[in-house]
Amino acid sequence: MLHESLLGLSSEGRPRHATGLLAEVEAAAAAAGGWQDVDLIAVGLGPGSFTGVRVGIATAQGLSASLGLPARGVCTLDALGRGIGAEPGAEGQRLAVLDGFRGEVFAALYGEDGERIWEPAVYKPEQLSERVADLDTTPLVAGSGAVRFRHELTEHGVRIPDDADPVHRVAARHVCAIAATAAAGEVGQLAPIYLRPPDAERWRERDPFPTAE
Amino acid sequence: MMSANEREQSTRAELLLAIETSCDDTCAAVLDGARILSNVISSQAAAHEGFGGVVPEVAARHHLELATPVIDAALGEAGVTLDDIEAVAVTAGPGLIGALLVGVSTAKAIAAARRLPLIPVDHLQGHVAANFLEPEPLAPPFLCLVASGGHTLLAAVREHGGYELLGQTLDDAAGEAFDKSARLLGLGYPGGPALEKEAEGGDPEAFEMPVAMARDPGLDFSFSGLKTALVYRCRELGPEQTAARRADLAASFQAAVVAQLTAKLRRALRRNPWEAVALGGGVAANGPLREAVGRLCEEHGVRLKLVPIALCTDNAAMIGSAARYATPIAYPDYLGYDAFASGERQADGPISGDIGPKSAHRPLV
Ligand SMILES: [Zn+2]
Repeated sequence: MLHESLLGLSSEGRPRHATGLLAEVEAAAAAAGGWQDVDLIAVGLGPGSFTGVRVGIATAQGLSASLGLPARGVCTLDALGRGIGAEPGAEGQRLAVLDGFRGEVFAALYGEDGERIWEPAVYKPEQLSERVADLDTTPLVAGSGAVRFRHELTEHGVRIPDDADPVHRVAARHVCAIAATAAAGEVGQLAPIYLRPPDAERWRERDPFPTAE
Repeated sequence: MMSANEREQSTRAELLLAIETSCDDTCAAVLDGARILSNVISSQAAAHEGFGGVVPEVAARHHLELATPVIDAALGEAGVTLDDIEAVAVTAGPGLIGALLVGVSTAKAIAAARRLPLIPVDHLQGHVAANFLEPEPLAPPFLCLVASGGHTLLAAVREHGGYELLGQTLDDAAGEAFDKSARLLGLGYPGGPALEKEAEGGDPEAFEMPVAMARDPGLDFSFSGLKTALVYRCRELGPEQTAARRADLAASFQAAVVAQLTAKLRRALRRNPWEAVALGGGVAANGPLREAVGRLCEEHGVRLKLVPIALCTDNAAMIGSAARYATPIAYPDYLGYDAFASGERQADGPISGDIGPKSAHRPLV
């Protein structure tokens, strides 16, 4: 097999991506030798900030269409989990926890070989903590949600690396590594992973305009 | 009168891909100069129907799903590929920020990958520029009234690249008032067409509705008082009578909206002589409004340009049209370009648009 350069766009985090992402991508492509040396575009599908996820996917879709390159989506928690698994001392289970905003987290549990044990889901930190307490083992926990809710999560004795540890950040190279072995997605079919319905119901409540009924 | 620069620009045969996602329609178009090669609009109206209005997060989710298929359709219908495209135009604002960001991110990525220039466009300038499109382009100067679900504005258009804002709504947009009132009367969404249909069998003088801003010497609009008046009429009548007299209520409400729009237009025509009036925006599809503005123009001996219905609602062809007179940003200067929501605007952005005095006006809603 020929050498394959992959370029990953991680869309986890705040929608600062709108201004920062494309320049990063162009720089990464240039570092790889230019777009002609790139074979595949990988993108984090979330969960994350709704807007951030969309900026990442829209950028990947636009690049894919414009360059005629295939694009593949990767669950952002999977990429985080893979990063935790690469840590020295991560021989057991790993729990990937992203800040889900509004006092909640997105989390998924992975086994020793990186296989998913818990599917990605939304939790209140206390709920997640209780679920972790029921485990037979003590997983290594990391991610923006682990940093933010360290207090709640460490109650049952899990290990969370220092806040400054890069393991808490989703790395684009893990998005790429997973995408390289994943099934190819059709251009324009990169389905975001929101894990939450739109705020339609809230919005309806906020609407001050009364109806006739 | 066209300046030399404008003439040079407008005869430039440039193939443009334009993208518009500021509200709830996902739109892409291909233009060859002022000629529309394709103009694809994927409406999300059905997705928002149950809410009586646009839900921003729902709109943004749909834009992401629809952007690539809609762009593909626009290129396909135009019979071109991205290889033929010379610049990418996109609505940068104002609008729903989450919705705008899908279009802007997509446009930036398409342009950057091919080292094409990006042309960010002001959405309202797009509505004005719908008039410049073939087959019957209208050249400045003209007076332009844009009334839609998102905006209501009266503009003096003296050049292709910008306009002077003469008046705008201080609260709800005209189309928004239609939507909310239609919902109040138990009619469908979008409310404009549903309310107009209901009003056909009604008496426009059955209920007294305030013609807001009638005594205001300016050219601004206000529709929230009208909406409130309708709420009170319905309360007084009770649910049964409201249903029974729905046609009269709809007709009276519609007549009041039309009266306010035409009153401001009349005032603007009296202030300054104009040769032409252009009527655009989704509400311009309203029959009674078209008739009333038509009569007004006849009275004043002014030519009336009705923007074709397909170009009245939000669409990307009008964005492409505005882009022809806006400043392109060369690669890579736009990599960090951001969309702007309602009421904010990039201070040094290359966006054309309102070039008149700003201090007297609230930000556009
Ligand atoms: Zn509009």
